[in-house]
Amino acid sequence: MEINGVTVSILLFGIALLGLILRRDLVVKLLALGLINSSTILCLVSLHARPDGAAPILQTPSGPEIVDPLPHAMVLSAIVINFAILALALVFVMLLVERYHTTDSQRIERETSEEERS
Amino acid sequence: MILALFPLLRFALGVLSIAWGRGRRILLIASHVVDAVLISFLAAALHSGRVTTLILGGWERGLGIALVGDRIGLTFAALAWGLSVAISFYTLNRALRPYFYMLLHLLIGACYALIFTKDLFNAYVIFELLTLTSFLLVGYERRPGQIWASLRYLVLASLGMGIFLLGVAVTYYHTGSLDLDVIAVRVAAAPDAGWIPLAAALLVSGVAVKAGVFSFSLWLPSAHSLAMPAVSALLSGLVIKMGVVELFRLSDVFPLDFTLVVLGSMTAAFGIVYAVASQNAKRMLAFSTVAQIGYLLIGFGSGTVAARLGALDYAVAHGLFKALLFLAVGEAALVTGTTDLSELTARRDAIPLSTRAALLVGTLGIVGMPPFAGFAAKCVIECGIQRSAVHAIVALISVGTTVAFARFLPLFRRRGPWIDVWNRLAAYAWLGGAVLLFLPLSRTMVPRSIWSESLNGLAFVEALGAILLGLLIHRLLRGFRIRLPRRIFRIEEGVLVILGGFFLVLLLLRFA
Repeated sequence: MEINGVTVSILLFGIALLGLILRRDLVVKLLALGLINSSTILCLVSLHARPDGAAPILQTPSGPEIVDPLPHAMVLSAIVINFAILALALVFVMLLVERYHTTDSQRIERETSEEERS
Repeated sequence: MILALFPLLRFALGVLSIAWGRGRRILLIASHVVDAVLISFLAAALHSGRVTTLILGGWERGLGIALVGDRIGLTFAALAWGLSVAISFYTLNRALRPYFYMLLHLLIGACYALIFTKDLFNAYVIFELLTLTSFLLVGYERRPGQIWASLRYLVLASLGMGIFLLGVAVTYYHTGSLDLDVIAVRVAAAPDAGWIPLAAALLVSGVAVKAGVFSFSLWLPSAHSLAMPAVSALLSGLVIKMGVVELFRLSDVFPLDFTLVVLGSMTAAFGIVYAVASQNAKRMLAFSTVAQIGYLLIGFGSGTVAARLGALDYAVAHGLFKALLFLAVGEAALVTGTTDLSELTARRDAIPLSTRAALLVGTLGIVGMPPFAGFAAKCVIECGIQRSAVHAIVALISVGTTVAFARFLPLFRRRGPWIDVWNRLAAYAWLGGAVLLFLPLSRTMVPRSIWSESLNGLAFVEALGAILLGLLIHRLLRGFRIRLPRRIFRIEEGVLVILGGFFLVLLLLRFA
C-alpha cells in the first residue's frame, strides 16, 4: 500500500476512534475528537493536492495548471469550526469537573444518572 | 435575494438581542413579522410556478452556493416560522437571559439557511452551527445532567460531521462540484461508478447522526428529554428535521430509496420499543420522536410522488404536535415536580386544565385521530406506499405509537383549575390550533388528485382501527414492565454503533 496523505488520514481516524472509545478520561476523549477532525481535514487536503500545480492566482494564463483553491477555503472553515467545538466542549467539561472533581466519563455518567433519577 | 435575507436577518437580530437586551421582545416580534412577509413572497412565487433560486456572489451554477426555495424549502421554512412563533410566545415573560434569545435567533436562522441550501459544504457549516447552538441550548440551565447530555451530543454530532466532511471530500474529488444539482447530473451520467456507494454512505451516515436515525442518534433521548421544555420542543420539532431535510435532498442525488426504507424501519422499531418501555414521560416523547423519524424516512424512501408529499406533510404535522406535547409535558413536570408517568398520574390534579387540554390535542394528533394533524398526513403517505410489506410496517408504527401514548389517558380525567398565564395559553392555542386545523392547511400543499385518492373511507377505518388495536394492546400490557439496556446511550457505545451503522449503509448501497 502506498503511503500518502489519504492512507495516513484513515490511519489517524482509526487511532482517534480507538481513543474515543477506549479512554475514559474526558479530556483525552476530546483530544481524540480533535484528532478525528484533523484527520478528515488531512484527507480533504491530500485528496485535492496537486504537487506540481501553480498557486491559484489567475495572472499566468500559460504555465503549469493551477491548483483548485476551493478545498483550501473549505479546510480553513472546517479548522475554525473544530476549534470552536473543542473550546465549547472544554468549557462544559470544566463545569462538570467543578461539580464532580473528576474527568472520568464513567463516574460522571453514574453520578448524573443517579441525580436525574432522584 | 429573499432566500439570503431569511438567515441573515436572524443572525443580525441574534447579535442585536445581546447588544440591546431590553429590546429583545420587540426584536422577537419584528423578526416574525418580517419572516411571515418573506415566506408569503416565497409561497406566491412557488404558486405561480416559479422556483426562487439565488446563487450567492453572482457566480454561475455549480461554482457559487446555490439557495433554492422549492417545495421542500417552503414547507420546512413555514414549519420553522410556526414553531419559532410558538416558542416566542412561550418564553416571552420568562426570566431568560438575552443570551437565550441570541441562541434562539441563531438556531432559527441556521435552520432557514439549511432548508434552502443546495451546497454540500454550506450544509456542513450550517450543521455545525446548529450543533453548537443546540448544544448551548440544551445546557442552558447548567444542570449537570443537561451538561453531560449536551456534551455527549456534541461529541457524537462532531464525529458525524467529520464523517460527512469525508463524504464531501470524496464527492468533490469525483464530481468537481459541491452543488447537489450538478452532482446529480454527474451521478446520473455514470450511475455505476465505484465511488458513489462510498460517498453516499459517508454523507448519509453523517447526516443520520443529526437526523435522529437509529443506530446513529443514541444521544437523542437524553438531550431531548433533559433540556428545558421550550428547548426540547424546538429540538424535537425542528432541529431534528434539518437532518431529515438533508436526507431528502441527498435522495434526489443518490439512489437512496431502499436504504431509507430499511433505516426507517429500524429507527421506528427501536423508537417504539423504547417508547413503550419508558416510564419517564419526557423520555417517552423523545423516543417517540425517533419512531416518527423512521416513519418519515419510510414515507420518503417509498419513492412515489404521493408518499414523498405525504412525508413532507407529516414532517410539518409532527413538528407541530411534538412541540405541543413537549411544552405541555414540560409544564406538567414543572408543576408536579416529576416526569415519572405513574407519579404524574397520581398528582394529576395539580396540572392546570389548559395544559391537560394541550396534552390531549397533541396526543390525538400523534396517534392519527381523524380530524387532527397526524391523520391527514398519514393518509397521504399510506396512499403513496405501493408495497404491502412497507404498508404493514407503517400501520404497525401507528399501533405502537398509540400503545405508547395510551399511558397519558389517566391524565385527562378529573377536574382542575384553569390557572394559567396568557403567554403559555397563546403558545398552546397557536400550536393546538394548527394541529386541529391541519386538514384544510395541508390541502393547500397536496395536489387535488392525490388528496381525493388518499382521503377515503378506508383510510378512516384504518386510522381508527390502528388506534383501537393500540388501546387493546395497551390494556393487555398493563402491569407488564420490560427493562431495556441503557448502556447503549453512553459515548463509547454511541461511537461504535455509528461505525456499525455506516458499514450497514455501505452494504445496503453496494448490494441493493
